[in-house]
Amino acid sequence: MRAKAVVVLSDMITPYGRGADKCWSGLVAGTSAISRVTRFRTEAFQSDCAATIDGLQYHQDESLVMQMLASLFDGAASQIPGDASLILATTKGEIDLLEKAILDGAGDESDAVLQRLLARVSALAGIRGEGMIVSAACASSSAAVARAAAMIRCGRSDAVLVVACDSVTEFIFSGFSSLMALDKTAARPFDIHRSGLSLGEAAAYLLVMSEERAVREKRPIIGAVAGWGLSDDANHMTGPSRESEGLILAITKAMKSAGIGADDVGFIAAHGTGTVYNDAMEMGAFRAVFTHAAMPLYSIKGGMGHTMGAAGLVETIIALRSLRERTVPPTINLEEADKDAVGWATSRCRAVDRHQAALLTNAGFSGVNAALILASG
Amino acid sequence: MVISVRGIGWLNQEEYGCVRTGTRRSRRDGEPGRELFTYPVKYFGRLDGASRMTCYAVALALEDAGIGYGQYQKQDIGIIGTNATGSLGADTRYFRDYIDSGRTLSRGNLFIYTLPSSPLGEAAIHFGLQGPLLYTATHPASLSAAIDMAVESICADESPIMLAGTIEEREAVFFVVAKNDDRQYDTLCDVTEATALVNASRTLEEMITELTNAGRGKV
Repeated sequence: MRAKAVVVLSDMITPYGRGADKCWSGLVAGTSAISRVTRFRTEAFQSDCAATIDGLQYHQDESLVMQMLASLFDGAASQIPGDASLILATTKGEIDLLEKAILDGAGDESDAVLQRLLARVSALAGIRGEGMIVSAACASSSAAVARAAAMIRCGRSDAVLVVACDSVTEFIFSGFSSLMALDKTAARPFDIHRSGLSLGEAAAYLLVMSEERAVREKRPIIGAVAGWGLSDDANHMTGPSRESEGLILAITKAMKSAGIGADDVGFIAAHGTGTVYNDAMEMGAFRAVFTHAAMPLYSIKGGMGHTMGAAGLVETIIALRSLRERTVPPTINLEEADKDAVGWATSRCRAVDRHQAALLTNAGFSGVNAALILASG
Repeated sequence: MVISVRGIGWLNQEEYGCVRTGTRRSRRDGEPGRELFTYPVKYFGRLDGASRMTCYAVALALEDAGIGYGQYQKQDIGIIGTNATGSLGADTRYFRDYIDSGRTLSRGNLFIYTLPSSPLGEAAIHFGLQGPLLYTATHPASLSAAIDMAVESICADESPIMLAGTIEEREAVFFVVAKNDDRQYDTLCDVTEATALVNASRTLEEMITELTNAGRGKV
């Protein structure tokens, strides 16, 4: 019999502050944490806005993500089993160390290698094993959650800690600006006037266990990773497929993996970056799969920006909270929904049925797609 | 579930080849080129070095496995890659270029390769790979860990066929790992045997020799 993967512990640090409660409260209140970037000069870029975490020191002793992770794991290690497998999801990890090495000659460029960060996270979390990195562009952490669930389902592990992090740095900001991917002010996912994404930063962790171990250890069950599907558009490095077939494939696989049909999904936690093409591609997929009626759909990226490799994990934690609270947050900055999103995305909170599952989607460069089916515990 | 290695493609500074079919060509007789691909790779000259290495190794691996592909054909095949340093080389190139340009303009065509998964993305686009795509790494980097993940993906019904490989500056190798319950395909060996040989080998050359011998032993 296949083991069920349940979520027993989670936490996050986001531009809303430390902890999931602050993030949830900010989102439900419709407050955006996107503001002017002061970390580096932005005059040459397409935008001067991003969602950053207060109090982080840029180009100082520790990288931005290590400062986030140190805060995140402060006092948490006692709740994390040392025998858990570790998956670290990130796109650029400690890339600010490479910036510092090139700009100031301080340290070495190779300090930014992801394996070095993996070893440091393993020590921070109190994990005895070395763990592994999973990087799949902006679908990194939802792909990592899928890997964790697969490891539990196939019996390779009965406890997997998924950690995700990415930060807003000049390297990343200049790159997205060069691709003309940034909204001048703040991202407006699914809005008819949307014009790009806003970058954000975050770190989060999720402890996934087999249900058997969670029950044995009397762990509170927050929810379950019931199914997943991963795919690629095989179409273009930076642009999603206009036919949406890659995401449709991922969603279809996720529902099959969970053993459910479209009618069993109660709401969608969308990737919703705010770029014209991503949001159109997603709506194309949702409309192709969920043909009966519009269903509650939201994106949190108007509130906390696109946190890249951390996005899927933060969104998983928020989607599980939505299931518990029977409420989905608003799509912040949405003023006039795109015609395809009318009736799906709104600027207000909506009630949802806790007995139905949540569909979470992410997509990224190289045409990567990830879909998760999340359920109440 | 029976999971087998259907083919392996590889290249290093001196040679390139396919393991199951036993093809081995010296680079002194000519660099790998267009003849490896069923149709030309779009903008091949603009791809970064890691992406070119990945495309070569994947072309050889698919050829070895007898899997065809076409410009308008997409297949449910996934790809997992690993290496020792992620995208560090591309990161350095991008950021130095940005600094050298006065810290105002950066080049998008350098930025897109600053993800460790980007070379896999280029391969997915050319070969029409619609299955799971991700980069993974352990400390130290381990090809067998990537193969294990591919096996896990197949077991979890994520995709029936997975490519798993490693891409370094001077060498690359990709394995085609596939479900083979009905024994309908000619294969090189069982994936467990292949992983054991990968773990026991100290160099790519040694690994290719051992795997070639394993294939011959089966015949």
